[in-house]
Amino acid sequence: MRLVIARCSVDYVGRLTAHLPMAPRLILMKADGSVSIHADDRAFKPLNWMNPPCTVREAPDEDGGGAVWTVTHGKSGERLVLTIEEIWHDSSHELGVDPGLQKDGVEAHLQELLAEHITTLGEGYTLIRREYPTAIGPVDILCRDSDGATVAVEIKRRGEIDGVEQLTRYLELLNRDSTLRPVRGVFAAQEIRPQARVLATDRGISCVTLDYEALRGTESDVMRLF
Amino acid sequence: MKFRVERDVLADAVAWTARTLPVRPSVPVLAGMLLDAGEDDGRQRLRLSSFDYEVSAQVSVDIDVDEPGRTLVSGRLLAEIVRNLPPQAVEISTDGAKVVVSCGSAKFTLLTLPVEDYPTLPAMPELTGSVLSDAFAAAVSQVAVAAGRDDTLPMLTGVRVEIEGETVTLASTDRYRLAVRELTWTPQDPGVSAVALVPAKTLADTAKSLTSGAQVSIALSTAGSGEGMIGFEGGGRRTTTRLLDGDFPKYRALLPDSFNSVAEVQKSEFVEAVKRVSLVAERNTPLRLAFSDGRLVLEAGAGDEAQAVEVLDASLEGDDIQIAFNSTFLVDGLNAIESDIARLQFTTSTKPAIITGKPVDDGASDYRYLIMPVRLSS
Repeated sequence: MRLVIARCSVDYVGRLTAHLPMAPRLILMKADGSVSIHADDRAFKPLNWMNPPCTVREAPDEDGGGAVWTVTHGKSGERLVLTIEEIWHDSSHELGVDPGLQKDGVEAHLQELLAEHITTLGEGYTLIRREYPTAIGPVDILCRDSDGATVAVEIKRRGEIDGVEQLTRYLELLNRDSTLRPVRGVFAAQEIRPQARVLATDRGISCVTLDYEALRGTESDVMRLF
Repeated sequence: MKFRVERDVLADAVAWTARTLPVRPSVPVLAGMLLDAGEDDGRQRLRLSSFDYEVSAQVSVDIDVDEPGRTLVSGRLLAEIVRNLPPQAVEISTDGAKVVVSCGSAKFTLLTLPVEDYPTLPAMPELTGSVLSDAFAAAVSQVAVAAGRDDTLPMLTGVRVEIEGETVTLASTDRYRLAVRELTWTPQDPGVSAVALVPAKTLADTAKSLTSGAQVSIALSTAGSGEGMIGFEGGGRRTTTRLLDGDFPKYRALLPDSFNSVAEVQKSEFVEAVKRVSLVAERNTPLRLAFSDGRLVLEAGAGDEAQAVEVLDASLEGDDIQIAFNSTFLVDGLNAIESDIARLQFTTSTKPAIITGKPVDDGASDYRYLIMPVRLSS
């Protein structure tokens, strides 16, 4: 990982053109060859970037004062041209292999809690297993309903369209398994976006809104009638 | 298809039908409104329909038919157009794959949707009985206010309808309050006994919109005929909705039958005072009420926060009581009672209180609003 802080302007030449005027910026050059240019705001999304594979050519400026770095994409030939006026910081660090992102705590906990209280989905539900493996990744929960039919459950904190898509892919695969067939889908989330609900309903997937607090057994101290 | 209709008649009918158009139709034809012009019972009628697989709506109005026919057009667009037409007769006709709406000097051409793809509306279940439309709308609005809005407990988002002979009981609760209303109606079969859980929002909208006729007919599907549906019909409008599943809580057991204190307060003064005093109550902080001989002290806010206090005249029988409520829930209950004088019945400051109107002849009130108090700190 090479970190450069420099006053630079950036021109992108490719399928579209974009220009970043001269200003101080952070340039990240990562071990996989990717280059990204960041401003001093927002936690993600660089101002401009080039995905690997790409090559970087560093050359002095025509009048010798600064430098021009040209990042060329290996396949498409698109170019990111950094005109550097002044370098304030330049350092490289070996980070090694990243252990990967831990699954969101709440989502994992929701899965655990729902597996424990599987009858939240309906009377007579029984758990088959959590993280049921399929060729394209594990299904959060596989269970049976009161009639013994298989139900695949996808759990999200916020239920969005991509969660429904994910469940649809799992269902397609699971329904090829004659020992499980027919498999019905349940999309369970703390909050389900209306668009996701429409898509799920249209695909015959039922939606369940989960109450994390209730599943955890933490009662609020507000008095209730029942 | 070609027909003429009065602008106001059409505007009312289209606006009413458009209410049930789905916001996000999963199939494009569901965004359509079905226009069906023809003879119905020997009269020239236009039938407008909309359907989103949950709720269906159909209205029938008198028109002059030149050429009978059926067509499907974008419901929202038609509703917008008709609402803005000048007050003159409207002529609607089909022209190939287009529909032409002309009124005075204005003329609109709309694209049609494939009418053969439009789903068949569910048939109305068999008539169960009928009720005066104004009384029904009032009763539903009194009860629906207490229904839950939280999707995690779907059965609490409904109004429970219990039919027992000539009595209909409506109930709903969101676990913090419970509203129960009894009303009489005219059943088809005097020995009828049935229950249903109807989505509260749909029921409230429906009851309010069916007051143009004197009576509302209610049709509840029985176990044998088309499971899980209720239909309402009145003043040429009919609507069906799917029922909710799930066990409604056994609410009758929640209603206390003995009390330690009974207070009576002028309703409008009370509502205004609650609204005023709760201005300083931050979200979820309680409004405190102290009833003692002849007066009611309302207080909100504490410690370093802003505070408010107001004193009202009130009659009290029984023990003095200090109790705190969520002010929104209290106002909902007070606004729902029909009498000018609110009667509040208390057991203790941690047990639910009942709000009713003061009964005219000291009989039992047909509306009860049970409200859970909020714990008083310290």
